[in-house]
Amino acid sequence: MSMKTMSAVCALSLGLAGAAFAEYPERPINMVIPYGAGGATDISARTIAEPLGAAVGKPLVMANVTGAGGATGSVAVQNAKEDGYTMLFARVGSHSVNPAMKATLPYGLDDFRFVTVYEINPVACAVSPSSGITSMDDLVAKVNEGGVTYSSSGVGSLLHLAAVMVLKEFGVEEPLTQTTHIPQKGGGAAATAVLNGTATFLCTNSSAISGFVANKQLVPLMVTTAEPVAGFDVPTAADLGKPALHQLVGWTGIAGPDGLPDDVADKWGAWMATATKDEGFLSKMTERGSVIELMSPEDANAFIERQYNTFRKLVDELGMRIEG
Amino acid sequence: MSFLDSLAAGLSLVGNIESFLALFIGVAVGVIGGAIPGMSATMAVALTLPFTFAMQPITGILLLLGVYKGGIFGGSIPAILIKTPGTPASSATILDGYPMAEKGEAGRALGMALWASCTADVISNLSLILFAGWLASFALSFGPPEFFTLILFSLTIIAGVSGDSLLRGALSALLGLLLATIGLDLVYGTNRFTFGDPNMMGGLNFIAVLIGLFAIPEILAMVWHPTAHVGKARSLGKNWVSFADYRRSFKSIVRGSFIGVFLGSIPGIGAAPSAFLSYSEARRTSKNKENFGKGEIEGVAASEAGNNGVAGATLIPLLALGVPGDVITAIIIGAFMIHGLQPGPMMFILNVDIIYGLFIGLIVSSAFLFLIGSVAIRGFKYVADIPKRILIPAVLVLCIYGVFAVNNNIFDVGVMFVMGWVGYLMVRYHIPAAPFLIAFILGPLLEDNFRQSMLMSGSDPLILVRGPITWFFWSLTVLTVVAIIRAGVRAVKGGALTSGNLEN
Repeated sequence: MSMKTMSAVCALSLGLAGAAFAEYPERPINMVIPYGAGGATDISARTIAEPLGAAVGKPLVMANVTGAGGATGSVAVQNAKEDGYTMLFARVGSHSVNPAMKATLPYGLDDFRFVTVYEINPVACAVSPSSGITSMDDLVAKVNEGGVTYSSSGVGSLLHLAAVMVLKEFGVEEPLTQTTHIPQKGGGAAATAVLNGTATFLCTNSSAISGFVANKQLVPLMVTTAEPVAGFDVPTAADLGKPALHQLVGWTGIAGPDGLPDDVADKWGAWMATATKDEGFLSKMTERGSVIELMSPEDANAFIERQYNTFRKLVDELGMRIEG
Repeated sequence: MSFLDSLAAGLSLVGNIESFLALFIGVAVGVIGGAIPGMSATMAVALTLPFTFAMQPITGILLLLGVYKGGIFGGSIPAILIKTPGTPASSATILDGYPMAEKGEAGRALGMALWASCTADVISNLSLILFAGWLASFALSFGPPEFFTLILFSLTIIAGVSGDSLLRGALSALLGLLLATIGLDLVYGTNRFTFGDPNMMGGLNFIAVLIGLFAIPEILAMVWHPTAHVGKARSLGKNWVSFADYRRSFKSIVRGSFIGVFLGSIPGIGAAPSAFLSYSEARRTSKNKENFGKGEIEGVAASEAGNNGVAGATLIPLLALGVPGDVITAIIIGAFMIHGLQPGPMMFILNVDIIYGLFIGLIVSSAFLFLIGSVAIRGFKYVADIPKRILIPAVLVLCIYGVFAVNNNIFDVGVMFVMGWVGYLMVRYHIPAAPFLIAFILGPLLEDNFRQSMLMSGSDPLILVRGPITWFFWSLTVLTVVAIIRAGVRAVKGGALTSGNLEN
């Protein structure tokens, strides 16, 4: 990484020495990944980086800046210069769940300008086979009996909100008091908690548990999309008559600081249009259970705004907002 | 498919020059990456990950495993030579490795580290191959209450690494526990001791704390007394580890390896606690108890066996359950997913060739580790001959680079320097650093698992004694604490006698 940083610095100084007003981009672009290596965001970012780098024509310097559920990396980009040379791989957790749930977050949606959302991840709910639960109705019945718990990758994560939102949609009046949230550190630990019986169920990105489902270690109950998800032989939210849950999906996008110029945003729109057509990229991503859906800068902003408002409404309704 | 068929399938998959080359390069990269202060094994694996995207699945995974194993051993090189753990897992190696280097026995310590690492590696790999299924189901019976009791027992290590004064050790541990509370609260998600600074929300960076605590005080001491070391020869000497040394430490190595296998197969603990536990067990049972911490070769052997014993065993939850045990295996699981492989029970049926290919690769990796490690030691041991006035500034530069690169964050460099001053003051007042580190690692685990247990049971403390595993660790904890108190009482009585004699 230090080699890459060094080359970036060299290229940067060379770029400054040249024409200062040449066309964007005239030097490598720093891409911040706010989550750790090997995670869903990291893999997605590094897969798009290949065709995207070709489209941009300048190297993309990928850096993982991790911590605090994606907040550390997001703040780094929030405070960066608005010249389009520092961009962020934004994720559902860092940019719609976190802002909706955490009053103390040092940034809001207004601090970023989205240039695209390119990947949608369906959310699936699952239980362990030993629980005896096989459908959402079973789960809701169990909730009414009491003693149901759910795991998440931490307070204010998508998993946390998803479990509550799904229960609420299925008619559980007070999901916060009728069930218990057992937060874990990270998505892997959240799935393990259901595997070893620490928690009853979890709702997370389908790709995170597709392995466990294929291995019959977890039993899926539903997916939140309108279309069925490969490998998940369960009803969709549309089948179950809960179209409101279509809002509950994971996504990955690219954002810059708020004051990002229009021409830069337009360029990103064009690059992404080229990059997402790449055959290798498409096949790799769909194999992992992602839905590739390219949004223009305007669509992306509207999509995230809509999801944020849905989540915010639920959070306020249930009093889940974290103030301290 | 019979065992031989599976083996043949695996062999046909890895029986090519690319696979072995990838493994060899991986181990070499790992040893060098681990040996650079600040560039931990985790980072070496993370940096290698993108290179595996274009490779065959098995080749890429072997490359990563090579880096992992090499990195865990490589970390012991700077731990012994310059008192800076190259990777968190090798912090325990400092305790005896560095005093040995000071005595001019760097070559002997490095040699023992390598032999112990390779032995533990073989034991760990064999455990993976033979007992994966059994250990995996055992690991799944570890819920938060079991974890809590295990961590509580592990905290008794503090007594073993406190040196002369248990009180000073406890003070150090308290400081570690305190600093570990910084960051987001697990259950409520609120900020704790962040003082409104987003950089503190993720807690203090572990590598920054580690380097600050161990490496920076040496540098500060050098600044204080630039000529203190002049005249103290630190020549390498001709000595090399002998077979007699190895035989004498063999019991500790085997015990350390099994501690590593056991802790490695349970997701969520990692190599550093295992190394410390192995070290403290070796000290407890050794005849030369008082020599531990002053350059006892068995201490080096025990801690290196403890951390390398984890390396093969962390693959047990990874392959058998599809669950990553620590940060490094979380990255490796990413590599599996990139290639569309889903680790878990089905993989032993669907991709049995890959599983057996990995097993063959792992066995070979121990041999590669021995080979590359020997060469690396021969190269790196001359670091001990470099005059301190040149070595120390170079170490400082490496530390700053390394700590920055972990998270591309300048704040971490600041944390490193602040912790450096804390570490310096601790050295001045003879407060050992190891208890701090253990508490810093184990404190959050203890707290999280306790609170998760309470959430599970609705705040009923009886859940902490819910099964045989918890009973086992509770009794171990009680036994250890009683032993510590008895030893303490005896020491006080002995001390009173001697002081009494002096008065008369």
